[in-house]
Amino acid sequence: MRDLFVAMMKEEWRVHSTMFGSVSFALFPVLIAAIARMGSVLLPYLADTIPGGLIGFLVHAMFLLMGAMVGGFGLLGREVMNRRFGQASLLAYSSRTLPLSDRRIFAAFVAKDTVYYLLLWVFPFLAGLALGTPLSGLPPSFVGLAALSLTLAFLTGLSTVFLLSTLYAHSVKLLAAVMGAGVLLAILLTGVGGMNPQFLFPPYALFRGWSVPLFLLSLGIITLFSAVSIQYLTAEFPDREKRFANRFGPLAGQLRGFRYAPLMAKDVLDLWRSGGLVGQTLFSFLLPMGIIWITLSVLGRIMPQAQILVTFAGVAGVIAATMYTWLTEFDTLGAYTFLPLGTADLIRSKFASFLLLQPITAVSVGGLAILTGNPGAALPATVLALSVAVYACGVMIFLTGLWPAVMVYSVRVFAASLLFTGPVLLGLIALSSVSLIYAFLSVFLFLPALLLIRLSFRRWETWERAFL
Amino acid sequence: MPPVIQAEQLTRRFGDVTAVNQVSLDVQAGSLFGLLGPNGSGKTTMIRMLTGQIRPTSGSARVLGMDVAAEPVAVREKVGIIPEQESPPSFLTAEEYLSFVAKVRRLDEGEERAGWWFDFLEFEEKRDVLCKDLSRGTRQKLMFAQAFLHRPVLALIDEPLINFDPVMQQKVKEYLREYVRDGGTIFISTHILEIAEEICTDVAILHLGNLVHAGPVAGILAGKKHLTGFFLEAVGKGADA
Ligand SMILES: Nc1ncnc2c1ncn2[C@@H]1O[C@H](COP(=O)(O)OP(=O)(O)OP(=O)(O)O)[C@@H](O)[C@H]1O
Ligand SMILES: [Mg+2]
Repeated sequence: MRDLFVAMMKEEWRVHSTMFGSVSFALFPVLIAAIARMGSVLLPYLADTIPGGLIGFLVHAMFLLMGAMVGGFGLLGREVMNRRFGQASLLAYSSRTLPLSDRRIFAAFVAKDTVYYLLLWVFPFLAGLALGTPLSGLPPSFVGLAALSLTLAFLTGLSTVFLLSTLYAHSVKLLAAVMGAGVLLAILLTGVGGMNPQFLFPPYALFRGWSVPLFLLSLGIITLFSAVSIQYLTAEFPDREKRFANRFGPLAGQLRGFRYAPLMAKDVLDLWRSGGLVGQTLFSFLLPMGIIWITLSVLGRIMPQAQILVTFAGVAGVIAATMYTWLTEFDTLGAYTFLPLGTADLIRSKFASFLLLQPITAVSVGGLAILTGNPGAALPATVLALSVAVYACGVMIFLTGLWPAVMVYSVRVFAASLLFTGPVLLGLIALSSVSLIYAFLSVFLFLPALLLIRLSFRRWETWERAFL
Repeated sequence: MPPVIQAEQLTRRFGDVTAVNQVSLDVQAGSLFGLLGPNGSGKTTMIRMLTGQIRPTSGSARVLGMDVAAEPVAVREKVGIIPEQESPPSFLTAEEYLSFVAKVRRLDEGEERAGWWFDFLEFEEKRDVLCKDLSRGTRQKLMFAQAFLHRPVLALIDEPLINFDPVMQQKVKEYLREYVRDGGTIFISTHILEIAEEICTDVAILHLGNLVHAGPVAGILAGKKHLTGFFLEAVGKGADA
């Protein structure tokens, strides 16, 4: 199994380095470190406006979120061995003929992915933080503790979502029961038991005050969640020929107003039948949004409610843009490149399907505004979220064509997407915080978004052909 | 009548590998043209270039009078293609997939035609099974049906028979022959020389990306050679060159 793990690590490296060039791929962590270092230099200034403890909490929440966003291994289930791997990791697929259990192959895959995330994101970030110490004035011991607790925070997010997504893959009821029990336990411990809520997030508690039992608790939770997930994951799923009545015809009929109705209907069925629609919405959208909302609510102590909502809407837009990856990641374009469809058709149809998913964003953001007692903010916040989503999706299409998932680890793509979206997002959030009316200005983002998409047709035309 | 396929010094490199090297060849309307060659000799690459799925590194091709590099979609509109890897989308059923293809190709009578194919290739009972759960042979049937659904004047088919059992192979060979008799043109790549000898009117042999022979099958057989012997000789010659 160790050999398989090593071979998978090499394969992943080769996939990415042949795609972007080894130098560009190797530079990715350097870029992350540079960003973190710049951020850490700003810390002393930030500390004047934001209480120190809050910054610590924010950063830990961010790492938790990062882990949560990549932890949905359970959704891949067995399908992964056929499809996702089919493109990116032939090794996992072909290993099925080796005398290794599926569980071990999967464990190697999860380990490989986790190590890659640690190497590409987490450790570079921590290195940047450490490199910034001369300027930020943070004591090295503090940085050391933060490095440990942040890594644990990342792994906590990852293993928790790994567990939840695995439960989901088995049954929604099981998921609901476990989550219900978890929430109940949390309420009992904090409400009735009088426990400090920070202990619900042990890595953060560890950061606030180092202790060995707390460290072991953090580690134990991660190990337990991962072990249970792997154990459950490859427990044989019912393996039979699945039969369905023809849903394609009617669906394409309902969408007939759209030029790309057949392609959109196919996207919808792909997402629905793979379990991706509900699963992705739950784990790649609602869950991260929940974490963000809780984090922002903690900021409520220093931020007005309207500003929190606006910030939330903006960030929700960015996360909503990743729905584009739901539509592309499992789709083997090889299934229809021999049909009379060009790059422009494929991109347009994926974008149309993306728009079809946006009610999820609208309902989440608008609903939250109403639920939190800001019905007046519901419309502007929703408009802001949708505009940002469309714009960020346009940027992603321009930069990555039909391969958003594999292209993220190119330094150029990553830096460019930060430059394209960062300032626009911050500007809009700042403006809208002044007055909610300004949130409506965001609709102008549709123009650059459409322009970027238009430009992407040319840009991806030849690249796509070469890639297949 | 001009040839339906005209390749002119067609070349494709992948990094250091030259998959297809300056191949020029004509395919006349009404022929059943076999593209032969050992593994890795460039057959699939050739078909993908001729259908605009990849671009040639140099050289050009005209298919049905259209420049493939300039109008790849228009070419695919007209021709039928069976790709090497049979890969219909995982989460559509067989029936839904044919309906998808019919809609993309804007066929009005897609449903009846799909029905005909389910019947002809004998996989009616797999209609409502997800493509990912189909056996290889059944998937190949689906790809076959997909390629001929719009009754193209020209079909480029990459190893279409390899997953079929002997009975099905017989049936499909018959279909191809009749197809050509009715005025269609078939460009087929295959390893199975007996099939080529049996049904092809013309063959081209690729070896290491080079065209080592092109001409009517009758000419070869007239020299009292079996295609297999001729093929081995041609490929041996190519290796020395
Ligand atoms: N996408 C690609 N990237 C790199 N090399 C490729 C690619 N596609 C084909 N090749 C190389 O080009 C050469 C020709 O491959 P091709 O698939 O055209 O051969 P083939 O005649 O179809 O073989 P087979 O009979 O095994 O199907 C091979 O050396 C192959 O490794
Ligand atoms: Mg081939």
